[in-house]
Amino acid sequence: MPEVSKLRKPDVKIVLLGDMNVGKTSLLHRYTERRFKDTVSTVGGAFFLKQWGPYNISIWDTAGREQFHGLGSMYCRGAAAVILTYDVTNWQSLAELEERFLSLTDTANHDCIYAVVGNKADLTDPKAQVHQDSDSVSEEGPRTESQVLSACPTPPASPVSLSGLMLHKQVTHEDAVALYGRLLRYKGLDEKASLPADKMCFETSAKTGYNVDTLFETLFDLVLPSILRKRNENKESPTVDLEDCRGTGKKTRSSCC
Amino acid sequence: MSVKAFELVPAVERDLLMGDKARINIECIECCGKHLYVGTNDCFIHHFLLDEVTSAKGKLSYSAQKLLHKYLGLKKPVAELRAASALERLIVLCDGVVFLVDMVTLETVPSAAGGGAKIRGVIAFCINENPVNGDPFCVEMGVLSSKRRTVQIFMVYEDRVQLVKEVSTPEQPCAVSLDGYFLCLALATQYMILNYNTGAHQDLFPYNSEERRPIVKRIGREEFLLAAPGGLGMFANAEGVSQRAPVNWSESVIGAAVCFPYVVALDESFITIHSMLDQQLKQTLSFRDGHILQDFEGKVILASTKAVYVLVPLPLERQIQDLLVSHRVEEALILTEGAQRNIPKEKFQILHKRILQQAGFIQFGQLQFLEAKEHFRKGQLDVRELISLYPLLLPASSSFTRCHPPLHEFADLNHLAQGDQEKVLRCKKFLISYLGEVRSTEVANGCREDVDTALLKLYAEQDHDSLLDLLATDNSCLLADSVPWLEKYHKYFALGLLYHYNGQDSSALQLWIRVADGDLQDSTRSDLYEYIVDFLSSCSNLDLVWKYADWALRKDPTIGVCIFTKRPATKELPELNPDDVIGYLGKHKQALLLYLEHLVLDRQIQKETFHTHLAVLYVERVLSLLSESPTDDEQLTKARERLQAMLRESNLYRVQYLLGKMENCEHLLLERATLHGKLEENEKALHILVHKLRDFPSAEAFCIWASSRRDSAYRQQLFHLLLGVYLDGSLPGQSQIAAGGGSGELEMAAVDLLNRHGEVFDAVRVLRMLPEGWSLQLLRPFLGRAVRASMHACRTSQIALGLAHSENLQLLHDRLKERKKPVVVSAKKGCHLCHNTFSEPDVVCLPGGVPVHTHCVAQRVRDSPTKRQLTNRSNHT
Repeated sequence: MPEVSKLRKPDVKIVLLGDMNVGKTSLLHRYTERRFKDTVSTVGGAFFLKQWGPYNISIWDTAGREQFHGLGSMYCRGAAAVILTYDVTNWQSLAELEERFLSLTDTANHDCIYAVVGNKADLTDPKAQVHQDSDSVSEEGPRTESQVLSACPTPPASPVSLSGLMLHKQVTHEDAVALYGRLLRYKGLDEKASLPADKMCFETSAKTGYNVDTLFETLFDLVLPSILRKRNENKESPTVDLEDCRGTGKKTRSSCC
Repeated sequence: MSVKAFELVPAVERDLLMGDKARINIECIECCGKHLYVGTNDCFIHHFLLDEVTSAKGKLSYSAQKLLHKYLGLKKPVAELRAASALERLIVLCDGVVFLVDMVTLETVPSAAGGGAKIRGVIAFCINENPVNGDPFCVEMGVLSSKRRTVQIFMVYEDRVQLVKEVSTPEQPCAVSLDGYFLCLALATQYMILNYNTGAHQDLFPYNSEERRPIVKRIGREEFLLAAPGGLGMFANAEGVSQRAPVNWSESVIGAAVCFPYVVALDESFITIHSMLDQQLKQTLSFRDGHILQDFEGKVILASTKAVYVLVPLPLERQIQDLLVSHRVEEALILTEGAQRNIPKEKFQILHKRILQQAGFIQFGQLQFLEAKEHFRKGQLDVRELISLYPLLLPASSSFTRCHPPLHEFADLNHLAQGDQEKVLRCKKFLISYLGEVRSTEVANGCREDVDTALLKLYAEQDHDSLLDLLATDNSCLLADSVPWLEKYHKYFALGLLYHYNGQDSSALQLWIRVADGDLQDSTRSDLYEYIVDFLSSCSNLDLVWKYADWALRKDPTIGVCIFTKRPATKELPELNPDDVIGYLGKHKQALLLYLEHLVLDRQIQKETFHTHLAVLYVERVLSLLSESPTDDEQLTKARERLQAMLRESNLYRVQYLLGKMENCEHLLLERATLHGKLEENEKALHILVHKLRDFPSAEAFCIWASSRRDSAYRQQLFHLLLGVYLDGSLPGQSQIAAGGGSGELEMAAVDLLNRHGEVFDAVRVLRMLPEGWSLQLLRPFLGRAVRASMHACRTSQIALGLAHSENLQLLHDRLKERKKPVVVSAKKGCHLCHNTFSEPDVVCLPGGVPVHTHCVAQRVRDSPTKRQLTNRSNHT
């Protein structure tokens, strides 16, 4: 069930991008509801409002399907952080990030933070199979590994054997780090001045919860300065200008109504 | 899944509009207050008056009255109608021309002198509902021209239109919406936001307007609803940012509107209603030949090709109730909270609370207690609503009646559980924990009695440990209601506590005594008897103490006596008079003894009667033990030790009386000796000890005891007396080695005494007393110690003397220092006594620091009849 917006105004926006079936919705769901459950293909987009200390952070879950591709840059507009998600068992999903999704981030804030996240790590990495959420165990009761596997229909993009054998890991951590480097170059950012790749490349499992909290909480901490700056700006002018390079007679407009 | 949020109500039926003319279709509608205008494909405008009629059952319907219809004379369909009510004009788009007609007469407004009232080549236009220009007598209009890739902004006045701005667009626009300076445009391949004042634009997202009809709908200040690829309803604000998640329409949506909190959309055969709060589809209404969906001042009006309908929102409360009926708690709460801004604050708070409470009960019914509790807490539920679900828990005297309309569908717990005892039990456990949590909070204000009584009943029924805690601390349990309940569950001890809490100690004690006697069964406390004793010991009602102490003493005198001995000495408790207690305990010998021991030994009460009484009781006990045969030696020894200790330690008992008591008893010689000692009849005492008992260690001990609080002279006297007794007894033998042991024994005792306690004796006197024949060897330890003692005394006194002397000097020195005046002696000064000068430094100083000759002072002292002490001798130069 999509989360409720509760009508609070978000202070900052984080957007999940990535090809379909890499597990964007599941990642968000794991983080917000502390469990893994079946999701259907996201239509359009959905967002969740997270209370982080005194701030409201909206996390947008976008649709990975090609059909909704055009909406991506709108979701990214004004984003403080973008989570580029791929599937560790699917090389193509990483390639898509570069081919399709990178350009969507053009509308994000100039100081936007990028994270490259390889999901479904539990399929290739034994250490990601350990359930991290302490609450998930008590919530769902004891369940054997075979139950877990059969109860979780893996999306068609990443076939999994029911025997629980490890799948071949198609995308290594180094591949993700390399992508991050290219991303910085695409953005024209200095690699040394930017956040280091080993801090911003994650491998996660929405199914076991592996690294999921780390991912989101790392990002929340990193976007805090952005929130503070936005608040300060808002003190000066209550409306963000449509195009700040040309912001001429618009400020009078903002006070109307 | 679905909610009934709206109802489709016919407004203008087909007959009224076009009768049976099959070719006539509705092209556009406009509604302004009660006035409904319909434009048709045969170039007519129909004007209706639309009245809301509410039936007796509360059902809403519309009655439409046709006022006028007017042919515009263009033979083309009327494409758009917009009312400018302030100007009393309708803005009409027909055959690519925008012109004005009078709202009442529907007559075309002729062009004014200064400017045209017509705009040609128009494909679409929109009215700015949020114009920057504040002039109320003109309307701002955005116009899409068919020829140029431009958007024109016009001001519409009563009789003319005026072009104020023209902005070009990258592609041909096909739909437009306007808010403030912001134009939201559907272009051929994308949507964009265009600020017509600055010319700044923001691409939104791509869209193929040839495939699907674009929708650009202003839904609020600087926010638009757009048809997006994949049948999405996307939200976008003037900054080009989506602040709400999209809703999922069908691909063929024709029109859309927002009626908070819902997004209503029309496609070929359905009206779909999504919630903006959770993006879910809430309701689907079948609607054939749907053609138009528009909202006018909050009213959503739809038209098929032949008839007009109004989509009437159901009251929010009813929607929420419907959700609750189908147990969709979360959705109901989201809807309630989402409606907050549409409802006055106070009304909202009441509604919100009620919904929370209802939600809580639904979850309670599903045994989701954690969630239920949270909702009860947030909804500030009157906790009695919950208690009343449990049969018989509310006290009979409670004034509570359930709220109406009811918050839930359950008659009671049995109804809820449908006979499932496990469910009942879980519900009860929940209530126990819930009441336990709220009883001390403000939730329980005003109904503490109901809460505590209910809790007591649950505790009793469930055999819960906290029952006693509840009763032992501050509580508001109702006695009348609780008594039968506690009796039913055999919680007699708890009931006693409740009686006690209500000041009915007598009832409490009666009940407990029946339990302790086994008349009633309650295993709560295995040590109930001790508890009762303890209770009585601190009972403030003395009548109760006297009344029930007898029962306690009969049951066990040694424990029962604690009622009196353990009574705490605090100001709150009335004191018991010891004499009364002693009188009361007359029947209970053992208890009396214990009580007297408590008074004399523990409390150290210095009163003759208690001491004598205790001593007599000891004597009687010893005598009774002696009279038994065979005698229990161990008991007897103990009893005698106690008696002896008493006789030795106490000085208050009546000695003669006790002596009389044991006069004839030959067994109690030691005790008699002690008594004689008390009377200072030491000779008698020693006689008994030495001659009758022949117990020499006791005799020595007697001497030490009898002189323990006296000076050393007295002790010496006693020891000499004992020595005398020994020696007198040994005299008849006259011989150093007396035969027969008797006198020899005494002699040995005398020797031992001297050797052991030599320091006490006056050695000189002893030597005089001793028989001539005793060997030195025999008395060596005594003599050695006597000599050493004598030497020691001599030296000690010398040291004392020396110390006293030095102390004296020290004092003199100090005194001189105090004066701080040097005594000046010089050859020129004369002695005050003889007036001669000094020739040597040795002088004597008279008081006042006057130096005189040594010999003059000596002279003077010799001469003086009174011996005056002279001070200070010093050597000042």
